[in-house]
Amino acid sequence: MAGRGRRTMSFSVDSVGISRGETLPPAVQQPTPVFPVMEQKPLPLTGGEEAEYLTALKQDFRGAMRGLPCFIQPAAAHRDVERYSDKYHLSEKKDGLTDWIIGERSNLSISEQSNQNTHQRFPCRPTGGALPRQQTLHRLHMAGGRVTLEKKEEQESSEEEGEEKKKQKEEEAEAEEEYDEEEFEEETDYIMSYFDNGEDFGGDSDDNMDEAIY
Amino acid sequence: MTAQEICLCGLLLREHFGEVVEKVGTHLLRSGAQNLRTIVHETNLSVDLVKKCLCVLVQHGACSFTVGRKGPGSPTEYHACGERILRVLRYPRYIYTAKTLYGDTGELIIEELLQRGHVTMSSTVKTVADRLTQNMEEGQSLDYSEVSSTFSKLVETHFLQRCPPVGAAGTSGGAAPAEAPATPAAPAAAASTAPLTAESFPECYTLPQVTLTGRGKRQLVPEDGEDQRNAKRAKMTSESHGDEGIYWQVNFERFHQYFRDQAIISAVANKLDQTSSEIVRTILRMSEVTTSPTATCTKPLSTNEIFRSLPASYNIPRHILDQYLTLLVDDPMEFVGKAGESGGGMFVVNLHKALANLARATLESIVQERFGSRSARIFRLLLRKRHLEQKQVEDFAMIPAKEAKDMLYTLLSHNLVQLQEIPKTPDFAPSRTFYLYTVNQLPTARMLLQNCYKLLICDQCFSCRPWPTS
Repeated sequence: MAGRGRRTMSFSVDSVGISRGETLPPAVQQPTPVFPVMEQKPLPLTGGEEAEYLTALKQDFRGAMRGLPCFIQPAAAHRDVERYSDKYHLSEKKDGLTDWIIGERSNLSISEQSNQNTHQRFPCRPTGGALPRQQTLHRLHMAGGRVTLEKKEEQESSEEEGEEKKKQKEEEAEAEEEYDEEEFEEETDYIMSYFDNGEDFGGDSDDNMDEAIY
Repeated sequence: MTAQEICLCGLLLREHFGEVVEKVGTHLLRSGAQNLRTIVHETNLSVDLVKKCLCVLVQHGACSFTVGRKGPGSPTEYHACGERILRVLRYPRYIYTAKTLYGDTGELIIEELLQRGHVTMSSTVKTVADRLTQNMEEGQSLDYSEVSSTFSKLVETHFLQRCPPVGAAGTSGGAAPAEAPATPAAPAAAASTAPLTAESFPECYTLPQVTLTGRGKRQLVPEDGEDQRNAKRAKMTSESHGDEGIYWQVNFERFHQYFRDQAIISAVANKLDQTSSEIVRTILRMSEVTTSPTATCTKPLSTNEIFRSLPASYNIPRHILDQYLTLLVDDPMEFVGKAGESGGGMFVVNLHKALANLARATLESIVQERFGSRSARIFRLLLRKRHLEQKQVEDFAMIPAKEAKDMLYTLLSHNLVQLQEIPKTPDFAPSRTFYLYTVNQLPTARMLLQNCYKLLICDQCFSCRPWPTS
């Protein structure tokens, strides 16, 4: 403080509002409490029909937004080691948000707007190398809001397909937007379960097995 | 945008669009306009994900794109709009308003448009008809024409508008017709730098010719076996309804106008009585189309016109109407003002003054509820008298000096009251300076608004966890 030895303060005591001789409030020894006691309790929330309806609308809206295509899920977490079979596993569900995002590279995109009744032929891949097989045909069907993919195989593996198609029809109705895992995206001769790396196997046994398994 | 607003925008984006969109959105809000490569680089997401997020944001109107800063040829820059994201907080109110005005059909149309951002009329009508059919009894279904008629009513009253065409920003600026748009049309040669609002597009309220016949479809209840296969084989016929490429969006400004009118009418009803609020409602209804959204007051209306347009249930005699109007003009809240004497008296609704007075009343009530009625008395005194010294505050408020001082300092520490120094000498010596207390309405209101945003942030953060019950 300026004026060592002089006992006048830099401001006039009167203007601050403390008159001479008045007791000052006690000195503060610790920080103020985190949640100080409120002298005035806050008013209760205005309830009523309208407010409840608005709250219900808000919850419904948020719930509905989660199911729409504009709710973008983050990319699936990578496992510790990148595995060969990851390429053939089910990736995140792809659905075209609008007319603009159709056709990202070679991934199949399903647009709700493009209700295509006619058979469409898409080349599965740009024919970089000489492929000895026929190009696959894709047909898009809309069935009650669900999209199914049916690909026509070459005649070599048609028998395998016959069995798989039956399995598909049972499974398809369960999933929201199908993406047949039994079918292949790339040109392999193997069904998808061929590429399972066995991590999911054998974890379901709940029996109390005291004996060792040989 | 303040840090709280950005944080709240992030939380809202997360709730509605997921964490990835939140990341991209908050990054854009913090850093301003950026091009795609920079966004990808700084958010460490894949290009595909960033593209999808930007598409979602543009679809919902939260992001706009312009030609890059360095002129045509430089990559497009994306610019997020924080205010538009904060509008998400009002979505339930918009939906509820549509319900009160246009019934369940209107409610579902607005909800559909809010969920999807930009939608064509035909797909909205189909979806809404299906949803309403779901809730109806067995065997009944809703015809598309009913939904279409509600849609047209919403467009006529300007609650819905067409999205401006994307390509119109640059090239067709010159092709815009003679009616002067709100934003000046850029010269056709250069790429447009002024953002093209929906209002400046001349056909933004024109309904397209849509052929839409049919009824709502009930979604099949899934059963095992045959029904599934039948459902799978049923193909949706691909029809084009004649409105491809014409997208509609909700016109938020119109809803805000409606809210403003409702606020004024309910304030009049609370302060005076039901009949006065009906008179004000009539004046506002008559001025809906003639007043621009940012006008200070409505166009003057004569007593004769008001008398003719009052609703039939209120058959009050002419001289009573005159008395009501005089009362409204004399009221200190200044809702209605007199603009002349012709036609029995010309009256206007002072929109800006009414809203400012409502804001002031809100501030006063906040102070009263937090600090007590005597602090509120000091606050009202300062609002009316502008600048007062401490001694004068004690005298005018008729509160003992010690308590008045205490209350003043509490208000000062909460930033509701400010201190203004008027020096007598240039060295600002405290013994020779006047210290005046004052209230600045606008900064105080903004500060309380930021407090509300903070409150919403806390609420969002805690809503996912249950409160500890002790």
